[in-house]
Amino acid sequence: MPQLAGLWMAIATFLGIWWGHVGVRWLESRSANVLPPALVLIVGGLGMNLYSLFAPSLTAASVCSIVGITLLWDAFELYRQQRRVIKGHAPANPANPRHAAYLAAPNSRATTENLLNREPSDPTEFDSMPSSGSLRRSASSD
Amino acid sequence: MNLSGIALGLFSFGVIGFGFFWVIRGEYYLGYLWWPYPLLLGLALIAGSLFAPNAGVSALLGIAGASFVWGATELKEQAVRANLGWFRQNPRQKPAPPLVDLIKRIGAPHL
Repeated sequence: MPQLAGLWMAIATFLGIWWGHVGVRWLESRSANVLPPALVLIVGGLGMNLYSLFAPSLTAASVCSIVGITLLWDAFELYRQQRRVIKGHAPANPANPRHAAYLAAPNSRATTENLLNREPSDPTEFDSMPSSGSLRRSASSD
Repeated sequence: MNLSGIALGLFSFGVIGFGFFWVIRGEYYLGYLWWPYPLLLGLALIAGSLFAPNAGVSALLGIAGASFVWGATELKEQAVRANLGWFRQNPRQKPAPPLVDLIKRIGAPHL
């Protein structure tokens, strides 16, 4: 009989990280104010960790705690994502009034372009280190 | 009250944090083309978790495995960040991984 606890926790860990990347970007991009979603994530994270203390099995307790702790981190990550948008390291959503204000601010570094949506230079070619302007664009979305 | 779940949640948090560290270092010294190897290591750890002697060991292997699988998907974006000057870029040529031509044809995954 295979031991399935690790598989469930691997799924919880991977989905937690996936949501921490893709979901946080999505949520930050569409929220006019990041405080309400951050509070929801904090309450959800604390609730899941509280439940894990009384869960009926190790697997249920661990999955709840893994997801709960990643939700707590994601609340913090919302603010880090906001800073990335302000610095132009993540694309701004002009339809979001908060992002529109970043784009309109004097000397703004915010951009609607997703700078990560490109292919990196080939690390095995010695002379392939490009400047940022010469990077090849990727057809895939980020 | 059972603290095992919280302990494993904190272990997961620490392993993810370590993932950021090795992705940055791995991309700097080896380059993103090595991505299949942490991916295979992660999948092997998850497969190994199915045959662990108890649920605790299985949990540790599964969580570590998932973190390596994620790290493999993060190497390409880390390489772009270094190209853009957001992270230090290694000016030296990086070693080609085994099966490099095949790896280049497949293309690196990312989240």
